[in-house]
Amino acid sequence: MAVADSVVAVVAVINQKEGNPVIKKKPKSVSKALATATCALLGTTAMPVQAQEEPAWEFNTALLYYGEDDDRVQDVSIALLARRLFADDKILTLGLTVDSLTGATPVGAAPLDVVQTITRPSGNSTYDVAPDTLPLDDTFLDTRYAFNASWQQPLGRLYNGNVGISFSKEYDYVHSGVNAGISRDFNKKNTTVSLGFALSKDDIEPIGGTPMALTPMLDVGDLSNRLGNETKDVVDLLFGVTQVISRNLLVQVNYSYSDSSGYLSDPFKILSVVDPITGDTLPRVPTPGVDGPSHQFLFEGRPDERVKHSLYTQAKYYMSGKVLDISYRYMTDDWDIDSYTVDARLKFPIGNSSYIEPHVRFYTQTEANFYRATLSAGEPLPMFASADYRLGNFDALTAGAKYGWKTGSGHDISFRLEYYMQDGDVPSGQLIGNQLQRDMYPGLNAIIFNFSYGFGL
Amino acid sequence: MHLPGNTRFLLTLCLIVIFSTAVNAADEPELIDLTAHKGKVVIVDFWASWCVPCRRSFPWLNEMQAKYADQGLVIIGVNEDTSEEEVAGFLADYPARFEIVRDNEGSLATEFGVVAMPSSYIIGRDGKIVTRHLGFKTKLMDEYEATIQEILTAAPQVAASR
Amino acid sequence: MSNKKLYSMKLIFCVPALLAISACSSLGVEPWERDVLAKDEMQLVTDPIEAATDDHIYFSKEASSGGRGFGGGGCGCN
Repeated sequence: MAVADSVVAVVAVINQKEGNPVIKKKPKSVSKALATATCALLGTTAMPVQAQEEPAWEFNTALLYYGEDDDRVQDVSIALLARRLFADDKILTLGLTVDSLTGATPVGAAPLDVVQTITRPSGNSTYDVAPDTLPLDDTFLDTRYAFNASWQQPLGRLYNGNVGISFSKEYDYVHSGVNAGISRDFNKKNTTVSLGFALSKDDIEPIGGTPMALTPMLDVGDLSNRLGNETKDVVDLLFGVTQVISRNLLVQVNYSYSDSSGYLSDPFKILSVVDPITGDTLPRVPTPGVDGPSHQFLFEGRPDERVKHSLYTQAKYYMSGKVLDISYRYMTDDWDIDSYTVDARLKFPIGNSSYIEPHVRFYTQTEANFYRATLSAGEPLPMFASADYRLGNFDALTAGAKYGWKTGSGHDISFRLEYYMQDGDVPSGQLIGNQLQRDMYPGLNAIIFNFSYGFGL
Repeated sequence: MHLPGNTRFLLTLCLIVIFSTAVNAADEPELIDLTAHKGKVVIVDFWASWCVPCRRSFPWLNEMQAKYADQGLVIIGVNEDTSEEEVAGFLADYPARFEIVRDNEGSLATEFGVVAMPSSYIIGRDGKIVTRHLGFKTKLMDEYEATIQEILTAAPQVAASR
Repeated sequence: MSNKKLYSMKLIFCVPALLAISACSSLGVEPWERDVLAKDEMQLVTDPIEAATDDHIYFSKEASSGGRGFGGGGCGCN
């Protein structure tokens, strides 16, 4: 019945189409297509085997150790990331991180050839800094709990959306944030354009209150220049284009805009007030019977707004089993910090189930326009000033490698060891007198070690 | 979904028919031999081992093949992998109880103008593409099935006029 | 921001965007040619925990953050 009908229909179409030049061109490719298809027909499996279930949950766990030399910051952190895969590519992601920080961190004060006594950030006690050493605050101790959750799902065939929340808590700092994004595929999914935003609201609640900008460090117990808690708001916007270039090459370009406002200073950072000729920090006498700073220090003060723009581009290139991942980032902001980051990693397979991935990263930044190694007593007080080395002019290098393998049961295990170093200098015009002979910029050497374990259930 | 550009497919189909008759399909049982399926409803499903939704579609395709074989449904899975090993691995995990052919140079996919993976083309009893599905969503399975039922029960003339 | 800087910023962002848009339509692969691109190691972020960890470290030690995404923030470490 139907068989005869359809043969007629097919013949009719053939007749109808005859004489069309397109037909004459076509046979080759179709016969080729057929020939190709004919090459390998994989038999239909008659066995009633149950199809393998997709794992519903994927877990990634990691243990991180970050350690700076000279007893500076040590961080041990545990991270857990769980992904629940739902039907039709809907994904719930939950992340939990606990990190524990200990060690000492540079406070911003300049080294000196005599002992310096500094009041702790809490205002409750003091500590001494040996001559000719960089002043570090050794009370740096905190545990941070961070949680985040996100949901992503396709919206129709071409759109993909995601929403998320983040929350973190430290002893003196609370962060909460929301984010959302949408992407659309174009050009047979070869081009993906994405838009995203994130809002965050942070509360800064240091013990003893946040110090007023550029006011002097006072004696123990004197909290007259401390304010209450402060807040910080950040708005991030991101516009990205991901483009498939070829079967083996993928490129992404992102522009991001970030506006931070509110309390952007670090309540624990200070600056030394120095003699305009010798460059030595000016002495100070604490109130009799009370402990207090031996020298003159001011709490730092940064602008209450910062706008950053960055351009990030990443390429992934597959070369017969090896994968090259290169990224470049340019960032500029209205604090006059410009930074450039180049990151490269190359993943080499070793055998069937393991790999090694060397990694290098170069980073360089210029100093903020209010970065000051010290403040000179002879000059009027600037509007903003910070001696935080992270706002200074420095280069950083990361080098290391990761080794990983897949176990027989499909679990992923990897180890990563990296070395991170920073090397910077104070702009030469800022150094006065004796400062020229001293090591005024802290520098940094650290080890990063990661162990990670991933599995599906 | 109705494809105004059905002519290209018809052309392909015709040529397949011509080719298979000319070469004598009896000697080559592995051919995608659409002449053998004349008058049946044929689903040509383009898939690959690396395509995640394809994995989900296989159990469903098996089910459809088993359920509607009596009513004249034939499913042909056109595989687009380049490595035979991957295909074998995939089929071990997600067995196919329907016909699988390989198109490892993408020629058939090019002919069909495949724009997403997986893509299913449903060919009515009259040999014309009635509809195509891009991608595979488990929540649309009932809808897909309803379409198949509709095409299976449609008289060829009705299908042709759609 | 000075006018000159604003101008150079515009140039920095507009030129690649225009180039990208005009070049994109002729680039890419067919949907059935994504075998390599579908591999885990070809995803832009292959290890999300490692990426988050690194963002966090560099956020707390450098004056820049993010770029790839909204990396790093939300701690009193900066």
